[in-house]
Amino acid sequence: MTPSRKVTFTVTPAEAGVQTPSRRKPGTKNNKLVSGLLRNDKNGYDKQGMLTVEIGPLKLKNPVMTASGTFGYGEEYAPYVDLNRLGAIIVKGLSLKPRQGNPSPRIMETPSGMLNAIGLQNVGVKSFIRDKLPYLRQFDTAIIANVYGETIEEYLRVSEILTAADGVHALEINVSCPNVKKGGVAFGTDPDMIAEVTARVKDVTNLPVIIKLSPNVTDIVVMAKAAEAAGADAVSLINTITGMSVDIEKRIPHLKNVTGGLSGPAIKPIALRMVWQAASQVHIPVIGIGGIMTAADALEFFIVGARAIQVGTANFVEPRATINIIEGIEAFVKRHHLVDMDELVGSLKI
Amino acid sequence: MWTGSIIFNNQPGPQHLHMAVRLPAEFQDPIPGQFVMIRPIGAGVPLLSRPLSIYNFVRYQNHVTLELLYRVVGRGTELLSQLPPAGEVKILGPLGSGFRIEKAKSKRILLAGGMGVAPITFLAQYLERQVTGKNELNICLGAKNCAEIVGVERIKSIPGLLNISTDDGSLGSCGLVTDLLPGITQECDPGKTMIYACGPMAMLKALAKQLAPTGIPCQVSIEERMACGVGACLGCAVAVQNRRGIREQKSVCKDGPVFNIQDVCWDQL
Repeated sequence: MTPSRKVTFTVTPAEAGVQTPSRRKPGTKNNKLVSGLLRNDKNGYDKQGMLTVEIGPLKLKNPVMTASGTFGYGEEYAPYVDLNRLGAIIVKGLSLKPRQGNPSPRIMETPSGMLNAIGLQNVGVKSFIRDKLPYLRQFDTAIIANVYGETIEEYLRVSEILTAADGVHALEINVSCPNVKKGGVAFGTDPDMIAEVTARVKDVTNLPVIIKLSPNVTDIVVMAKAAEAAGADAVSLINTITGMSVDIEKRIPHLKNVTGGLSGPAIKPIALRMVWQAASQVHIPVIGIGGIMTAADALEFFIVGARAIQVGTANFVEPRATINIIEGIEAFVKRHHLVDMDELVGSLKI
Repeated sequence: MWTGSIIFNNQPGPQHLHMAVRLPAEFQDPIPGQFVMIRPIGAGVPLLSRPLSIYNFVRYQNHVTLELLYRVVGRGTELLSQLPPAGEVKILGPLGSGFRIEKAKSKRILLAGGMGVAPITFLAQYLERQVTGKNELNICLGAKNCAEIVGVERIKSIPGLLNISTDDGSLGSCGLVTDLLPGITQECDPGKTMIYACGPMAMLKALAKQLAPTGIPCQVSIEERMACGVGACLGCAVAVQNRRGIREQKSVCKDGPVFNIQDVCWDQL
């Protein structure tokens, strides 16, 4: 399908707020935290707040986030990256109980990309709050928890627990993991299921809710609209594309899980097309993900309508990829004398 | 990530490369068993860096040199092998935990299969420099055939008993490197002995079985495909038993690559 109109929407803070007015009480913990995220001057960069973006009620100092599963729990990259400079850190997908993940080998490089089948190995939501979150609280950066469940009940329980924890600023709901047998993409390929997960998670949390969509569907717009109609504050896309790779000598798959999720530059054109389609058809912010390695890649996503972006595989290639991208975006904005990111988002001329 | 300049990238074996890289003085001193993530600069091919264990390290006044001994096993190492002197590489490291050196041990046995010779040589040299007093050092090298035994000259220069085995008997004794072990460990005191091993998974798995009844402690450096090298991607998981006997997933890059042999769940590999 092709979007029928030029990308013209701009979500103003007022509009974004209107999305879920009943759920946001003035003076709640959430509001305090959101205001705390705009202390741009403290670190000396982004002094004019040029790169500031709003994802629904969530205000970020810049539009660059780390994609779930590619940045651990933040601490792993702290020797290389000043975490205060990031727009947001999205942590590894969290389930109710710890998960062991899939057997090795779990990864394989493919042309301009990589396959992974980690299988959502994670410490579990309770251990995350006890052992990982205290470390993350010290940073002036939004912390977004990625939520995974095998059942709707698990999504709800994990969301509730994270909402009660101090220091989580938004939830990203993973309805798109291709590497687990139950849950994940089973929810993300059915618009009714997406709508149900979204609506019920919104009922149990006052945090902004981002629905992370799978590209392994016939029509991404149907999925984005289902999330929007059910009250999602934003959608993020794309998760990885299911793929495989074979060892011809041994005639076995390179991954023990047989199939895995493809990421990296190989998927960028597909991701860009899907973000363009989704951004053209929904009014909530769209967060672009897929093969972003450089500031130029990120700018393509903004121009087709992404309000923010996530950097994934690039972190593995260059630990400082996020910082290079932020600095590149800032240089572009200055070079083009843009007042803010709004001038860029959805500015595609066709 | 550091940018390194290649000093040489020689071919001492059929598919074996010996690379030396000049790096800035800020590069930290590695300990034996640690590794680096490396890839050719620019081009974007390969996308991911490759993990290679450190073969040697020398600190000079204004720079350091890092040596790597590796084998061409796929596209990534093939591209590295083609780099000429003065070519540039991106390097992240030193990474991982490395071998633990307990000074109280009086007998050390170093076991290298195939490319395991790289970290084992670095360890042997480190022991020679760092551990003083009366210590017994045994080094065992094994490979498929004599052509695949690389780096012997350097190991020979280290004081210690050197034993070599090849699968086809073309150099040293005929058999597996683990076959050399019983002759060395008989009548040794497990409390005063430490075995350090690095090699293919099959060798380490056989070693685990062989050592189980002896009670001799052993540290193994294991290999796995990696994407990030810093414990973020969880691509290099290995099942390990903790002190309470509960299995948990560890990252080879961050929690390892060196583990106690009895902690690794070999049935999962």
